[in-house]
Amino acid sequence: MKIFFSLLMLCSLLLSDATIEVIKKVDSLPSLAVEDSSSSYDDTFKLTFFKSLIADLNVLSIFNVDRHHNVVHYNDTNVAVENKDMEYVLRYKLSEDDSGALNVESKLIKDKTTVFSKSYKISRKMVYMFVSHAMAYDINEFMGKPSVAWMKRKVIFSRIVAPKKSELVISDYTLTYQHVAVSGGFNVFPKWANKAQNAFYYTSLDGKQPTLKRVAIRTGKTSRILSSDGVIICSDVSDDGKKLLLTMAPKGQTDIYLYNVETKKYKRVTKYGGIDVSGQFQTDNKIIFVSGRLGYPNIFSKKLGTREVEQMVYYGKSNAACSAHNEYIVYKSRETSNAFSKNTFNLHLISTKTDFIRRLTATGVNEFPRFSRDGDAILFIKNYESQSAIGIIRLNHNKNYLFPLKYGRVQSMDW
Amino acid sequence: MKSIILSSVVTALLVFSGCADKDPAVDTANSGAKQAAQEVEAPKTETVSAENSSVNSNSNSFDLATLQGQIAPVYFDFDKFNVNAANRDALSADADIAKANASALSLKLEGNCDEWGSDEYNFALGLKRASAVKKALVAEGVDASRISMVSFGESNPTCSDKTQDCWAKNRRVDFKLIP
Repeated sequence: MKIFFSLLMLCSLLLSDATIEVIKKVDSLPSLAVEDSSSSYDDTFKLTFFKSLIADLNVLSIFNVDRHHNVVHYNDTNVAVENKDMEYVLRYKLSEDDSGALNVESKLIKDKTTVFSKSYKISRKMVYMFVSHAMAYDINEFMGKPSVAWMKRKVIFSRIVAPKKSELVISDYTLTYQHVAVSGGFNVFPKWANKAQNAFYYTSLDGKQPTLKRVAIRTGKTSRILSSDGVIICSDVSDDGKKLLLTMAPKGQTDIYLYNVETKKYKRVTKYGGIDVSGQFQTDNKIIFVSGRLGYPNIFSKKLGTREVEQMVYYGKSNAACSAHNEYIVYKSRETSNAFSKNTFNLHLISTKTDFIRRLTATGVNEFPRFSRDGDAILFIKNYESQSAIGIIRLNHNKNYLFPLKYGRVQSMDW
Repeated sequence: MKSIILSSVVTALLVFSGCADKDPAVDTANSGAKQAAQEVEAPKTETVSAENSSVNSNSNSFDLATLQGQIAPVYFDFDKFNVNAANRDALSADADIAKANASALSLKLEGNCDEWGSDEYNFALGLKRASAVKKALVAEGVDASRISMVSFGESNPTCSDKTQDCWAKNRRVDFKLIP
């Protein structure tokens, strides 16, 4: 009996570890169909909204979502014949009011009973994707699943449009909505300045020296933070927004610096004579970073205020980017080292508490991993040919989703 | 009832004040069966600045352009930042121009990488390349105070084909002469 219980406990421990893959779960997911009862708008827009909603519901990873577009009357008591075997049916109705706003009524039906309903309104129909994200978010909340608050967060990314020309773009997590926040010039490495996402930092490469700038979105006010010869990048912002981890090279030597936003003072954190970059807060006084101190890029950690440096990753010959959330570290590893053909970069997840490694991607160039604030999902960039896509990995559901960028190449992004 | 009125007032205040919270959030204050439609707010972000690359121009622009054309980039091997033997002569010739005709100008070294990686490490590698060229120039007698450096990572390719020749052309340090 004791052995049985200890086995049971071991199993439950393993199941809560995100480095362990969850397989064969799909069969057990409830089925969900979506029914369209829209009264306004043309078919193209109706279908666009439907596809956006299907994509969001899929990313939730809690349903087997049926992709057929069925049209029924909103007040019909029965679901469409095709959907009679579905466990859940989500029915919605798009309508345009006199002011041109998009109104959406929605209800979730289970066993012919409406179990959840909610209405939404947004001023312009072209920003419909935020309604679709909100609907998926609410259904996830109703189902009592772990929060997908990241679905409502904004992504900021730099898009290279020509050599030495880039745009900083603010978008939703699927890249469907895009707003160019900074255009013209050569600006890279945007980073949200706080949790509220009402300001961001970026590196301007236009002047004599690389310069870190801060933009307050509401006022549009741009302020200069620091300049450094060679390179200056804001790699991470502390949870309270008061401390920044910068990569700078004031003397041609890239190192990590800790910058205090209030006092505007900074101090050097790493002192290795080679490359130290990409500092990320793991806790308030511990960082992980990428260093070339073994002769190839790899992931290390350091307690602030001490000399103690620890190697975090023992798999992969070239691990040049990382992101941390509590004990979990996701890193990018170059799997081929070839000067003469295409190379493969994959993302891997490790836990500092176990020896497990989980490979998160299989092919292509996958880079720039970024944990969501709650650690539930990882956002990353997948580059193929001359195009980019933003990918989402749902760790606990073992699923990846890709949202392609219409043009240009993503240089870096933050979530 | 009180709480519904209160949350409606709060919602109205948030909507009409153009509040700081730009999240496309749905106010979830009401969740009853017969609730009013919830406002979903799209981010009201504006294009905050339009900066164009500054172009240095002066009366000597023709001479500057001629000199600029004479200074050749220095190329690097895959994943390397040391100046190889094949490029040493080119670098010496660049140093001679920097010391003679361009002696009154500042030098900006722009480190570049191929497309394999768009992260900070790649920018650091670009800077290492610029730094190696700076050291070589200083060793050839160019005053270090005239030299500044910048890394563009993989974001400034001169060639965008998917060939090894093309990638080799992008692993380079460019020289920019600044009056």
